[in-house]
Amino acid sequence: MDELANKNILITGASRGIGFDLAELLDQKGCNLLLHAGSDLGIQRLKEVFGGSDRHCFWQADFSKPDMLAVTLQETLQFFGPLAGYVNCVGLRVRRPLNLLNVATATEAFVTNVVSHLEVVRIITRKGLFAKGLSIVGISSIASHIGSPGVSIYAATKAAMESANRCLSKELFTKGIRINSIIAGQVNTEAYKELMQSKDSQVDLVLDRQYMGLIEPRGVAAMCVFLLSEQSQYINGSSLPVDGGYLV
Amino acid sequence: MKTHQEIINLLEDALELDTNSLTMDSVLADIPEYDSMAKLSIIVLSDEEFEKKLSGEQMRAFATVGDIVRFFAAG
Repeated sequence: MDELANKNILITGASRGIGFDLAELLDQKGCNLLLHAGSDLGIQRLKEVFGGSDRHCFWQADFSKPDMLAVTLQETLQFFGPLAGYVNCVGLRVRRPLNLLNVATATEAFVTNVVSHLEVVRIITRKGLFAKGLSIVGISSIASHIGSPGVSIYAATKAAMESANRCLSKELFTKGIRINSIIAGQVNTEAYKELMQSKDSQVDLVLDRQYMGLIEPRGVAAMCVFLLSEQSQYINGSSLPVDGGYLV
Repeated sequence: MKTHQEIINLLEDALELDTNSLTMDSVLADIPEYDSMAKLSIIVLSDEEFEKKLSGEQMRAFATVGDIVRFFAAG
C-alpha cells in the first residue's frame, strides 16, 4: 500500500495546472483529497473529475479575500478531518510593466499569493486540525530567483512565500510539521499556453536557459509527492528546484 | 467610449511619450519606445481599459498607431 494512502491532503489551486495533475496523482495513491478552487468553473471541473469518490471534498474560496478563509476552511476541516498535507498551487500570474503596476493589482497579487497562503497555514496548523507529520509545500517559481522584465510583483510574491516558509519551518518543527517550497521552472500548463498565445513573440526565451525543455506538470507533482512523504523527513524550510536546468 | 485622440493619449502615457507625439499614421517600427515592455503595456491596456483579449497574432499585425487605435475603438 502506498505510504500516502488514506492521508488527508489539501490542494489549493487544484482545478488546473500543477494542482490538477497533483490531484490525479494523489487520487491514484489513495489519498483523501480536499480540493480547492477559487471560481465556480474550477469547482465544477473538480467535481466532474473527482466527485465520483466519497474520499474527496471540495472547498471554494477566493484567495484575494483572506479574511473570509478561516470560517469556511475550519468548517470544511471539521467534516474532512485533520490534514497530513497541504500543497499550495495558487499563483496569480501578473505580467505587466512597472508603469501599469497600480496599487490595486500589486496588492491583489500579494494578498492572493502570500497572505492567503499564510492564513491557510495558520488555520491548519492549529492544535487538533493537523495529523502527525503534516507536510506543507508551496509552489514557487524561477521568477523569484532570476529577474525578468514585466514580472516584478509576481516574482516578489513568490520570493515572499518562499522566505515565509523558511521562517515558518523553524516555528512549526516543534509541532512535527515540515514546510518547504518548490521552485518550478516553465511548466506546460493551460496558463502557459495562454501566455504564449498572448505574447508578441512566439519564442520563449526562458527555454533557452531551461535547457532540458518545458516541464510537464507531472514532474512538479512528483516532487510534491516526495515532499509530502516521510522519505523527505529531513528536508525542511528548503526551496527545491524542479527547473529543467534553468537555475544552473 | 473613448475617442481616437483619447486612445492615442492613453498609448502615449503607457509608452511614456510626450503628449501629442503620436498620430494615427505613426509607424510602430519607427518608434524606439515600442519595445517588448511597451507591447506588454498594450496587452494590459487592452485587457483593462477595453476588456479585449489581444492575441500575439493580432499584436504582430499592427503596423501603425492607427491600427491599435481602431482595434481598441471597434465595439
